[in-house]
Amino acid sequence: MDTLDWVVIAGGVAAIAWVNWYFLLRAGDDHHHV
Amino acid sequence: MSDTNGAAGTATHPLEHVVIPVTGMTCAACQSRVQRTLRRVPGVADASVNLLLGNAAVSFDPDTTTVERLVDAVRDTGYGAELPVTARSAIEEQEALDLTQETEFVELRRKAIVSGVIGAVAMILSMPLMTAVGTSMGSAHAAAPADPFMRWVMESVTPSLRAVAPWLYAIPAAGLTYALLAATIVVMVWAGRSFYARAWAAFRHHAADMNTLIAVGTGAAFVYSLIATVAPGLFTSRGVAPDVYYEAVMIIVALVLTGHTFEARAKRRTSSALRSLAKLQPKTARIVRGNDAREIDVPVDDVRRGDVVLVRPGERIPVDGEIVSGRSAVDESMVTGESLPVEKGPGERVIGGTLNTAGAFRYRATTLGADSVLAQIVKLMREAQGSRAPMQQLADRVSGVFVPVVISLAIATFVVWFVTAHATGASAGAATVRAFAAGVAVMIIACPCAMGLAVPTAVMVATGKGAELGVLIKGGQALQRAGDVDTVVLDKTGTITEGRPIVTDVSIVPGAGVDHDTLIAAVASVERSSEHALADAIVRYATDRGIATRAAERFTSAAGGGVRGEVDGRAVIVGNESFLLAHLAGVGAEIDAVRGDAERLAESGKTPVYVSLDGRLAGLIAVADPIKATSRAAIERLRRMGLDVVMLSGDHPHTANAVARDAGVAHVVAGVLPDGKVAEVRRLQDDGRVVAMVGDGVNDAPALAQADVGIAIGTGTDVAVEAADVALMRGDLAGVADAIRLSRRTTRTMKENLFWAFIYNVIGIPVAAGVLYPAFGILLSPILASAAMAFSSVSVVSNSLRLRRFRPA
Repeated sequence: MDTLDWVVIAGGVAAIAWVNWYFLLRAGDDHHHV
Repeated sequence: MSDTNGAAGTATHPLEHVVIPVTGMTCAACQSRVQRTLRRVPGVADASVNLLLGNAAVSFDPDTTTVERLVDAVRDTGYGAELPVTARSAIEEQEALDLTQETEFVELRRKAIVSGVIGAVAMILSMPLMTAVGTSMGSAHAAAPADPFMRWVMESVTPSLRAVAPWLYAIPAAGLTYALLAATIVVMVWAGRSFYARAWAAFRHHAADMNTLIAVGTGAAFVYSLIATVAPGLFTSRGVAPDVYYEAVMIIVALVLTGHTFEARAKRRTSSALRSLAKLQPKTARIVRGNDAREIDVPVDDVRRGDVVLVRPGERIPVDGEIVSGRSAVDESMVTGESLPVEKGPGERVIGGTLNTAGAFRYRATTLGADSVLAQIVKLMREAQGSRAPMQQLADRVSGVFVPVVISLAIATFVVWFVTAHATGASAGAATVRAFAAGVAVMIIACPCAMGLAVPTAVMVATGKGAELGVLIKGGQALQRAGDVDTVVLDKTGTITEGRPIVTDVSIVPGAGVDHDTLIAAVASVERSSEHALADAIVRYATDRGIATRAAERFTSAAGGGVRGEVDGRAVIVGNESFLLAHLAGVGAEIDAVRGDAERLAESGKTPVYVSLDGRLAGLIAVADPIKATSRAAIERLRRMGLDVVMLSGDHPHTANAVARDAGVAHVVAGVLPDGKVAEVRRLQDDGRVVAMVGDGVNDAPALAQADVGIAIGTGTDVAVEAADVALMRGDLAGVADAIRLSRRTTRTMKENLFWAFIYNVIGIPVAAGVLYPAFGILLSPILASAAMAFSSVSVVSNSLRLRRFRPA
């Protein structure tokens, strides 16, 4: 595990967090209508 | 709506309703997105979007918003919407939908074929490229191409390709790469534009659907390839082969479009029953009009109520009406499911869209346009086909959060692949390439299309099939519930029996001093004023024998008891035993004298009616409601299906038991008053049973509504029995068994579909992520993933289409 690995891991975690924040949290209550 | 009412200070505005045609929706996620968007428009009270019918039903406050604004809101989400054409009948709407679906299908097919051909050519053109890259980079990059499917294709095709088209290998790699880039842009912009446009529109609304997955998957592959094409130095300087994935992008687009093409065709087929119903409506009618009574052909829309229409042998009947003159047998199978032609004569109703056989007749037009039986059936079917079955909720809940979860999984896949490959000695470049292919495959394979199609397609095919059999099921909810039914409650009168009683016996009390005709004349004269079914039987009996009736004076009637009045100065009392006892002192002994006869009649299922003239018992009339010829066999079928059959009757237990014995019903509840039926249904439900109540829908509407499934047994013309979940177009009970069997089959199909849709993702996603790689070296290429995705939707729809072959036993 070198620095590059850690960069990729950190980037991946950030990306996942962003996707869920953007599509699930910000969409808010809308998903309950589905 | 709530945020608009206060400002104007007026009372609540009446809401307007509009149905807006929406195009381009492909799955449950699309549907829920359009629905959400519409519900957010200020002034909208409610919006319900129907995926398969391609429309949105919106209730809105006309003071706050307009239909144009609603259409714009839908267009803003990336889907197509049109201003609705007002005042169209259900039949015309269906025709318009057919045309839209046809256009959509033809366009999809063209795009799928063209992009498929370009993709295949691109794949061949990429062969020398991969070989070139592979050799130029030396043996350290033996892993290239990283896409295992491409590698397999390449290994098997390259030798023959080298032999057939050696010139291909002479083209400079850069030239080939740019040619592929150009072809990819064409395919993405022309054929795949809808994916990207809709994915972008969804993104702006914080929503993600299958378009998002396809757009992100192919988009990532495209951007990666683009960088490798214009700046290969970025890669080679780090020891990574500048691989391109253009052919993968094109083939994924082509395969997804192929899947959509099959889906579009299947969707058209699911509504074929509805389409053939709509096509039954003839375009012209021959009517007699004007003072000179000319016969003219007019468009069906110009026929007015009261016009006399001519129908010749072999012609389709243009509108609903009542025969004025002539006789014929009419084939009503397309509407009622009844296979034998029905004899019709003056005074009888004919249904527009049915087929006249040998005779000719004239009839007067009654209901027209949107009110006609056919238009109502089509309307009901359209509503039913788009309705949601409860099982749908599962699919909806999953697909709502599915896409963000899949994108997260794809990112995680990338990270894990990168780190493990890197840690096991692969270069950063090789690790990136392999991780990248796995991430894209996860996104492409996980499209939730099959999940969105699983339940609605089954509902559509089943309701259409039902209509063909003369069984109108009013929606997914009713369909699913009817599959769970374990107890069938049958109303006696009009359901098991004809509902039109006839006089079977007339006996005169010895020494009463009247003859048969005098007795009947007196009774019929009084009963003429009554609306009871028994009264009708007696009046018809008199009329059939040419016995004249006179006006009765001082007529009174008691519900469930009898009637009294005076005819030619004679006091006439007609009714059951308690009614006579209540109104006539001292008649008890006379009744006792004929009680034996009365009981014998009751035991054979007949209703004895006592008649007294001038205060003395004069006669006994027996009235019976004959059992329908088809009832016995139908009840036997229900019992063979494992259903508990219960008969409800307002009659005396003797009569009810006799009818039940003849009909083959084991459980009888007799002496039930009309409001007692509701209590009886509720009692069965409290025992934990799922109850279907079968009645004529007129006086048992509350019981139909109380039951889990209300089935209205029809006469072929009263389609819209409000309280019923299922309306039978024919008057026989066989339809009840058909409805329940069809519902059972459909529920099973829905479960199968959901299972396949879920299992496909449950298996597909981990395989695409590479869980099989460590042990077996199996990795799913993005191209295979897109083929599997297309296949899963098609298999779910095909499974639903199997319901079209449903045969009632």
